[in-house]
Amino acid sequence: MAVAAPSVEGPEFAEKVRRADEITRRLQESNWDFDAVPELFTRAATCDVVAKEIVTIHDGRAQTLLGRLVMNGIGEEFQLNSPSSALNITLPGRPEVFKEINDQLGSRGLEDFEEFQGVKDIQQVVFYDFTNFYQARDLAFWSALYDCGLSPSGFEEFSRHLAAGKVVTSMRFRPSRPSLDSRPVYVQGFTGKRFPTPVVEWIPKPLFGGIAPDTLHLETLLTLDPTDLAHPFLPLVAEGAVELDGRRYYMRRFAGTSAKAAVRGPGVGPEKASDQ
Amino acid sequence: MNSHHRRGLSGSSGVDSGPRPFDLHVRGEVPTAFDGSLVVSTSRRAKDRSVFRRWHDSSTDLLRLDLFPGRPGRITAHILEVDPWAPELTLDLGLIPETGYRQGFRAPMPYPTQPNHGLNVANDLLWATNLLFGSPLEVELSTWKPRRILQFVQPDKEAPGVSTTSHFAWSPDRRHTYFHQSLLKPQPKPRPVVATDLRLIELDVANGDQRAWQIVPPPGDEAMESANFHSGFCFEARGKRYVGLLRTGAIIPSLTVHAGTNDHAVPRMPPSTIWLVEIDQASASLQAQLLPGVEQIDGLALSHLDVDISRRDGFILYANFKESPVGEETHGRNIYGEEPSVVAEHYPGMILEPLNYGAVIRYEWRNGDWSMRTFKRPYQPGRTSLGHTWLPINLQLEPGNQRLFATFSGFRPRLVSQHIAAAYPERSVEPTAVTFVPSLLMRFDARTLEPDYDPNGGHLSYAEPVAMAVAGDRTESFVCTFSPEAGLHIYRADDLNHVVCQAESPMLMHWGDDYFRPEPAHAEFVPR
Repeated sequence: MAVAAPSVEGPEFAEKVRRADEITRRLQESNWDFDAVPELFTRAATCDVVAKEIVTIHDGRAQTLLGRLVMNGIGEEFQLNSPSSALNITLPGRPEVFKEINDQLGSRGLEDFEEFQGVKDIQQVVFYDFTNFYQARDLAFWSALYDCGLSPSGFEEFSRHLAAGKVVTSMRFRPSRPSLDSRPVYVQGFTGKRFPTPVVEWIPKPLFGGIAPDTLHLETLLTLDPTDLAHPFLPLVAEGAVELDGRRYYMRRFAGTSAKAAVRGPGVGPEKASDQ
Repeated sequence: MNSHHRRGLSGSSGVDSGPRPFDLHVRGEVPTAFDGSLVVSTSRRAKDRSVFRRWHDSSTDLLRLDLFPGRPGRITAHILEVDPWAPELTLDLGLIPETGYRQGFRAPMPYPTQPNHGLNVANDLLWATNLLFGSPLEVELSTWKPRRILQFVQPDKEAPGVSTTSHFAWSPDRRHTYFHQSLLKPQPKPRPVVATDLRLIELDVANGDQRAWQIVPPPGDEAMESANFHSGFCFEARGKRYVGLLRTGAIIPSLTVHAGTNDHAVPRMPPSTIWLVEIDQASASLQAQLLPGVEQIDGLALSHLDVDISRRDGFILYANFKESPVGEETHGRNIYGEEPSVVAEHYPGMILEPLNYGAVIRYEWRNGDWSMRTFKRPYQPGRTSLGHTWLPINLQLEPGNQRLFATFSGFRPRLVSQHIAAAYPERSVEPTAVTFVPSLLMRFDARTLEPDYDPNGGHLSYAEPVAMAVAGDRTESFVCTFSPEAGLHIYRADDLNHVVCQAESPMLMHWGDDYFRPEPAHAEFVPR
């Protein structure tokens, strides 16, 4: 999502907070129907992950996810939401991990995709302002405060995760050269997270952001024990062993194009208020 | 049944897959209402989108989740990989005394059984069925072993296919179950496949007795190209027993999958009807009658149901129209003119995609008098609390029959084939006016067939898997949804915002390296 972070402080910011709270209360009092808060609807195509390289390290008790995310967006500042375990710890990104693994495999990572060759002029970004939303109203409030809008179906999707006891983790990023017209800019950032779980938990399909309906997807699973576990959608492209941080891991790599959720037809706009 | 060899790698991290039992990671509490097993029919799809295969033909993995209540409790998965040729079950052919028809048949095509859809359970037995093709597979639940194939018609070269009701009818005492079975006979092109030798089968689940009747089509609905029946129900009135069969009306262009994925002319489905037959043990054939008022709804693909037969003077039927040409595969260019190769959502194989939003009906019949309510609703993003009826799948009454739970698969517009939509111009949605519609679990007031509104949204949950089961009693009940990808979620039936249990395992999601298990349609809870 493109965001418009408050550019004021002091009493003026307090007023923005009151306004966002009023929108949130109006939404809640209207059975969470967005028709009561038309200003909260997302307005246009804004931001999507177009390619991602994920390293999933599972040690039998916890899972560490390291991500290289390539996104395109129209706007000056953006935000990504993702469901996470309530025990999730956000880690700094580790760009060197991708190089270390790819060097051992004789791979160039995402650059191995022919389709990725056309992605030029990628700006490096850092992720910041990591925030957790614990209730649906937190998500609505933040979206109202940062004027980034929500789609009702996306809101319902995150509400289901929240009902199951997950949190929604938000992070922001800003390219140094923003998109000032309808042409999206490409950016790349690195991120990480870790949470306890005895089983591998694949990342759910991301929601369509209005620009890229699918994702070039490279996923590398590292385990301490041998495994024949496979990614649910991506074909296996390599298998073996790698060393990372002084440990030897069994490795399975999956690659392909993965679909996003909530994709609409080409030329069809985002969800909007009902015709009155 | 399948002797496919897997790499039997061991590991302590719970990350190995395979047909041996494995535990799910459980968070929360398995409630005592779910003390038993959840049976699910899953199928396999190739990850390679250039491999085209219909949903019907997709290999079956039957899944039994054994739930042990507690905090967090325990859930163990058992997978039965089904071989559609079932050689060990078709070699020893039995005879059905009443008909003289042989039970087993092994044909080069189509397969005898591919039970990747319907689940029918009594005592310790499961009868799993396809959406349309083949015969039910009988599986012993406790041993999780297949026992036999229920085939009551005799395929031959002229009519090599078999069609069976996916969801059986049950007598009020659940002693007898009823389903339709017929042969499928290809016709010279371009005519679609026709049904022949329509039979109604009765199975006594207490002693295994079985018999079959010929079904005589009702006057005015004799077209055999649409004579297929996805679900049935049974009721008693004035001391007589009746079976209702939902005549879905799928038109099957060919018994085999299309040779290519090209666009082609699509024969139109007729509106669905319900055939009603009175059980007469003294007769060899049963004359069907049309249940009045159903055809006039003008809905497509009447398919799933639940029924309230707590009174012995008729029934209240809850059923849904999918508004989808269910005999067609989603293939070819979509309604936006995109080729399948550029649509990543378009995994290989048939998926049901509706032409427009469907409907749920409540049909009450008391000693010949009837009344009907219809609930039909588009998706309004600005008013999600209203729910919708896009591609209805499951219907299940809560114990006590006061509330009805339903799942709706939603709508993925890029999966609607251009040539299929072109066959139904008056029904098909306008491509530029429709957006994605999320799936939905919704609770209804069973008397009014209106959503059972809760201001906090506790009457619905979006983005849910469509496979669903309700468990409990009149004092407390729960509803669960399941898919390999999303796992199991158990909710309090009173509040669909309140998850009490969530369980998952990556081993549910894939088969080997090349296949995955997409979202199944149905789940059946079997109390311990």
